[in-house]
Amino acid sequence: MKKCLIFLEKNYEKFCVDLLKTMEEIFGKNCTSYALSFDSDTEAVNGRFDKIIKVSDENIPVYDVSVLTGILSEIHRKYQFDCILVLATYFGRMLAPAFAANVGTGLVADVTKIGHYKDKIEMIRPAFSGKLLAGIINTTEETVMMSVRPGVFLYEEDRNKDTEIENYIPEAIRPSKIERISRKEKPRSKDIRESEVLVSGGGGILEDFDIIDGLADRLGGMKAASRRVVDSGKADRSIQVGQSGKIVHPKLYVALGICGMLQHVAGLNRVKHMIAVNTNKEAPICSLADIVVEGDASTFVKNIIERIDREK
Amino acid sequence: MKIVCLLKFTPDVDSFEYDYTNHVLNRENSKMIINPDDACALGFALNLKKKHPDIEIEVVTMAPLSVKSMMEDVIRRRVNRGTILSDSAFGGSDTLTTSRIIAAYLKQTEYDVILTGTQTLDGDTAHVPSQLAEFLGIGQLSAITKIDEESFINGMPEVEVDTENYVDVYRIPFPAVLSVRKESKYRLPFVRYADLEMDVSDRLQIVDHKMLGIDPLSAGLKGSATKVVKTYMQTYEQKDKIIVHNDKDGIETVYRFLKDNGYLK
Repeated sequence: MKKCLIFLEKNYEKFCVDLLKTMEEIFGKNCTSYALSFDSDTEAVNGRFDKIIKVSDENIPVYDVSVLTGILSEIHRKYQFDCILVLATYFGRMLAPAFAANVGTGLVADVTKIGHYKDKIEMIRPAFSGKLLAGIINTTEETVMMSVRPGVFLYEEDRNKDTEIENYIPEAIRPSKIERISRKEKPRSKDIRESEVLVSGGGGILEDFDIIDGLADRLGGMKAASRRVVDSGKADRSIQVGQSGKIVHPKLYVALGICGMLQHVAGLNRVKHMIAVNTNKEAPICSLADIVVEGDASTFVKNIIERIDREK
Repeated sequence: MKIVCLLKFTPDVDSFEYDYTNHVLNRENSKMIINPDDACALGFALNLKKKHPDIEIEVVTMAPLSVKSMMEDVIRRRVNRGTILSDSAFGGSDTLTTSRIIAAYLKQTEYDVILTGTQTLDGDTAHVPSQLAEFLGIGQLSAITKIDEESFINGMPEVEVDTENYVDVYRIPFPAVLSVRKESKYRLPFVRYADLEMDVSDRLQIVDHKMLGIDPLSAGLKGSATKVVKTYMQTYEQKDKIIVHNDKDGIETVYRFLKDNGYLK
């Protein structure tokens, strides 16, 4: 039986459960799933993992990667995991590399697909800004490690595990020098990754970006944006779709004035329906669409809103 | 005070050309730039040096020697010293091996703090800063959007970290690796006109594996813990699409599509 550890990060519990899908693609069913929790909501994942290793010492600065790396290494020495999966959040992107350096294993970031190469696990990730996919193996005998962006793998099974919880007390805790002075929670808007409908704007609707709201409201969905719009300052990074933004899987994606370079398309996962509006019907995004509207995106938004409202 | 700024020269990914007939990436034509996050880190250091001229700045990069002229241009911005870790044995190193090589150099160097970017444009892994800190046994924070200058001067920087759900302020004493994001808006100053042609060769050093005491077999492709074994073209399922115009018929088609698929309640 293989052993796989998933780092359970606070506020991302649901996305961490999705890593069970990644685990299954690596080992099939022949694997025991472990979750490591410091301050996360373990109730929310009850019935998902075979075992939760819970370190709940309030004196541990959960924001200090060095401290957590020390504890994770200690636990790994005890369990000898075959594979460790970390969600590629800001924190996961600090923890995974620090831990990989500590144990001297290879780390592959932002894995989107699993393959098998000879007797090795092949970790497939976008390269060159999504223009290519690279299949990468770990050449060491150490544990296989990778980070996975939220929303790339989706785990859809029921809560069918009799989760065992082990309260773990670390033998040694590294001294921390980092101190958190203050924390401000950002106004929590709904996450675009949770919306079934996304109306997304790109360079072609930059000047009229705000009119997207009207269409998003009528479709009961949310507004999203391409990198170009976010870089121009017209939209917040939290609604950016793409390799450098979020990976989304709505049922309907309306792409307004988005050219659809691979960087952007890499953020679309299992979209059921797509409508692309673009002055160039040969734009890359159009090859993914069910309907291509050849024309100006702002005019389209005004026209379709008018048509929808006429029926009310 | 001595600040080490770690820089990476990356291809400007937007200018990449992909040769679809031969399935190769044409990197020759792509422009090289200073990775934007790293440029912000250096920008912060140089602006601070203007107010505190006794600050010493060393820029360190690991790269082929072809970056030499770009590096000289960096030094002309009033950087005290530039170091290129360059060796044919280093080519093809993965992030872990890269971090080991940079750490080997930094262990021989004096510094109070290491400033760098959070992510790179090309690899986008964000591995090196955290791995470096682990190898050097010092603290590290990523996604920094603001560094308080006064506390920084005192060696106890207070930094603002902007992540998805929170804006946090941390105190992280020297020595540490501080990785900033381009959202910090720290700007790299231009080279002064009078300095454009300045000879900076005496401030630039090239460091190879011998000087670092690194076994060439433990670096580069051979010494890496990961290896690319295959590349694939990104493929997408082609759909039977309908192409319409932005006119009455076109809008009606879209409207029907939305209605029939249950998107209009």
